[in-house]
Amino acid sequence: MVFLQVLLNGLLLGGIYACIGAGFSLVWGVVNIINILHGSFIVLGGYGAWYAYTHWGVHPFVALLPLGVLGYAGGWLLQQYVIRHVMAAKVLVTLTLTFGLNLLLNNLMTFGFSADFRKVVLPSQEPISWAALTLPTDRTLSMVAAVAVVVLTHTLMTRTMLGRSIVAVRMDPQAAQLMGVDVPRTFAATFGLGTSLALIAGAILSPIFPISPVVADGYLAKAFIVCVLGGLGSLPGVLAGGVLLGVVESVGSYFLGSSHALTLSYVLLLAFLLLRPQGLMGKKGFE
Amino acid sequence: MFKRSNRLHALGGAMPRAGAFGRRGLLLTTAMLGLGLAQMVRGQTQTIRIGAPLPMTGALSPEGLRLKQGNDLWAETVNKAGGIKVGGSRTKVEMVYVDYQSNTPKAVQLIDKLITQDKVDFIFSPFGSGATKASSSVTEKNGVPNIAATASSVEVFDQGHKYIFGLLTPNNTLIEPTSELASARLPAHARVAVLARNDLFPTAVANELEKAVKKRGYEIVYNEKYAIGALDHAGALVQIKAAKPDWIFVSGYTNDLILVRKQMKDAGLNAPVVTMITGPSYREFVESLGPLAENVSSAVWWHPASKYVGTDIFGSTAKYVETFKARFGTEPDYANAVASLSGVVLQAAIEKAGSVDRTAVRDQLAKLKMETFFGPVAFDEKGMVNSYLPPVFQIQGGKTAVLYPPAIATGKLR
Amino acid sequence: MKLNKSVFWVIFVGSVALLTVVGDNYWLRIGTTVALYAALASSWNIIGGFTGYPSFATAAFFGLGAYASAIGQMHGIPMALAWSLAALIGGVFALLLGLGLLRLRGHYFAVASLVVAELFRELITGGGDFTGGGMGLNLALLPISSLAQARLFLLAFSALAALSALLSLWIIGSRFGVALRCIEQNEDAAAMVGVAVTRHKALALALSAVFASAAGAVYANWLNYIDPSDVFNVLLSVKPIVTALLGGVGTVVGPFAGAVALAGLEELVIKGALDLNGVFLGLAIVLLILFLPRGVMGFLSPARRARKAST
Repeated sequence: MVFLQVLLNGLLLGGIYACIGAGFSLVWGVVNIINILHGSFIVLGGYGAWYAYTHWGVHPFVALLPLGVLGYAGGWLLQQYVIRHVMAAKVLVTLTLTFGLNLLLNNLMTFGFSADFRKVVLPSQEPISWAALTLPTDRTLSMVAAVAVVVLTHTLMTRTMLGRSIVAVRMDPQAAQLMGVDVPRTFAATFGLGTSLALIAGAILSPIFPISPVVADGYLAKAFIVCVLGGLGSLPGVLAGGVLLGVVESVGSYFLGSSHALTLSYVLLLAFLLLRPQGLMGKKGFE
Repeated sequence: MFKRSNRLHALGGAMPRAGAFGRRGLLLTTAMLGLGLAQMVRGQTQTIRIGAPLPMTGALSPEGLRLKQGNDLWAETVNKAGGIKVGGSRTKVEMVYVDYQSNTPKAVQLIDKLITQDKVDFIFSPFGSGATKASSSVTEKNGVPNIAATASSVEVFDQGHKYIFGLLTPNNTLIEPTSELASARLPAHARVAVLARNDLFPTAVANELEKAVKKRGYEIVYNEKYAIGALDHAGALVQIKAAKPDWIFVSGYTNDLILVRKQMKDAGLNAPVVTMITGPSYREFVESLGPLAENVSSAVWWHPASKYVGTDIFGSTAKYVETFKARFGTEPDYANAVASLSGVVLQAAIEKAGSVDRTAVRDQLAKLKMETFFGPVAFDEKGMVNSYLPPVFQIQGGKTAVLYPPAIATGKLR
Repeated sequence: MKLNKSVFWVIFVGSVALLTVVGDNYWLRIGTTVALYAALASSWNIIGGFTGYPSFATAAFFGLGAYASAIGQMHGIPMALAWSLAALIGGVFALLLGLGLLRLRGHYFAVASLVVAELFRELITGGGDFTGGGMGLNLALLPISSLAQARLFLLAFSALAALSALLSLWIIGSRFGVALRCIEQNEDAAAMVGVAVTRHKALALALSAVFASAAGAVYANWLNYIDPSDVFNVLLSVKPIVTALLGGVGTVVGPFAGAVALAGLEELVIKGALDLNGVFLGLAIVLLILFLPRGVMGFLSPARRARKAST
């Protein structure tokens, strides 16, 4: 029974991790940019939700709508006017650029908000109990919201014009261009979407995790792992990767102790990179 | 974009070439050296300069802010009175702050810079046992008195250094009284669960607890560490719950402890005695947790409810609390207080030495015996303070109730 | 070309000598930081610039060397020997790791190399008393004056930087270097032409790691205290790359020019804007990437640009 609880905890974590990885996976898989800013964007979303809650009493799940829109706009502009200039350069260059941008954003947030941990303190709720299993209510709600967002985004990708051009570019940019897709605009849209998802994730996580610039790197690390495990640019992949990571961490932490859970996730990442870089869903990114 | 391997030339990474200096390069380098040279000239003003590297950004910035407030309060108070008495005259003090971004090697380098370039007279250690330990080597190398406000682990003072002085009593002075009080509520062979952050101070404190627990014949049923920056403790808590402990002990920093306590509730985990070090003494702990903070016990080196009277510039605990409140609008916690204490102790040593000569001040620090708003201060042969009793407290009704020492106790362990 | 090489060496040796003789602790420390950045960037260049594999594993080998040396000294091994052993251990580890890692390319390689550092960090943190765990390790103070120590470490790091530069110069003129260049331009074609691609890549990574580990070992004695989050810090992987980018990737002088620029920038920023130093560093990196894609050296040498255009 304890083991079942452990699995359940893993699933909860998994949904949350999927949401963290979604935007990152899109940008990496489609635009071929490792967006080091992703973690800081999540934290920014958290700050947005916190501000909205403490000043106007808006629930984070509501705040995520305007945050999503702002994220899209900001990301779109960033890609179109800054990152675009180095698209032709080596991996190294874009990586270092996003690293520099991240340093900028992260430290600006520290300067503006201080590194004090903020929390969105929602009224405490009783855990959901069933048999001997307990589900923390706030995590469960966040996980449901997280999965809903991922599923919605996937629908967006398959049903809308924008989404389909993103998928087309992801599959073959040259062919897409020949078919009339405006590739640079699609990149901008994808980056915008990725940023939007990051801010939304931040809002969803704000009731359960502390908000501070110092946790940005932790989110980025999770996003990395989720993407490699699940396969890039694929939202079902992100869900698969997230769940795998969540379950491995939960089970690993149960058998090996929690200090080793992180080590385990890195070992898993390396193993996948070496043995199955295309991840569970088999969608390999550009190299 | 499609075949990255073709796009090398944009970066000039294609052909390795040796040297290609040119006159412009020479000019640029000389200009930079020149700029730096210009910085070297600086005049000395008549103040006592104290270098204080603080983590103003990064993971420890809340701590950094607290220390700065404490240091500033002392500096301002002392300057208002005209300064420190050095021999026949009074000299004002000047705090020289630098931000080491919560990064220990940077702290070490900045201290070196403070001593060699900014020519400070004394140093206040950076935050935490780890950074203090690292800084101790630099100050020892240069013979600069180093007052450590936030290091309580014996490992820091074990290096045979003569210039480091710690204001916090060793970790076991927190643990012993706590264990003693807890034992009144625990059965004979109590089951104890220990969860520690994998960091210097939290691990050291957990080690002390293990010793105290074994001494009383209790059984340790769970003893694990969690990674720095862990966002999820559910796995550990599931195991702890299965072990059915009577006493749950968690060490870490405020955020870790808040998260653990919340997840304990989610996991349906509780125990007769729950002790956490060191978060509960901070306002955020009670504010974030609300009713969940109830009955959590803890120990800390100083509490505003203390009733000390001293010969220092603040006069008494009550007066210190009042002065701090007037200046910053909130009640001081132990971090604020111990930072102010650094100044108090340094001031006393300088006044006794009658000069700012580093060796003379160091010797006076070693011999120091004084009553302060923080408690009685006297250092042992290693440079650690061993003269006061850290209070043990518990959150009761949303407020802290002091359980020990008896002289200032306001409640009993529930 | 010959004249330029001499100019470089004259300036390098001259600055080091000048600093050693007349520099005070402050300048010695700055010089040592420059030498450290130069050593790391120059050795990174071998795998990142010459071979084209963007390695983020510098921190992994740096930390490995620091810990190997520190633990060795804790068990009685004399300092200089510990440094050499650490360098060797780094090289061997790199060779072994390389067999796996170097099968990946581009982004995947970058990520994997980054993860290695994190993995090492976690392993060391969980290493209990042997590695000091999260508490870190202390190294004994050297029984010489602080000025003498400052000089010693300037010379040690400068020696590493010089050795790395010499190695780079040798590589450029050798068949090994030609092979690396082929791999960098088009690995598949190189393999088809008969270049032993795996062996060469692994060797490049190993050579790079030897210096990173040696630098880590020296660093541990310089600071007298190491802990996992400091010596495995991702910035130790990123700064050498930024240094190389700043100065000019794939050149021998580039890392040195970049090191002077980066260390100088950091000093200026720390002085000027206490709270905003991260912001300025980030801004500097962004501006560098956007406006100086070939680094300071590329910017400073119109002659080189003209030569390049004509080839």
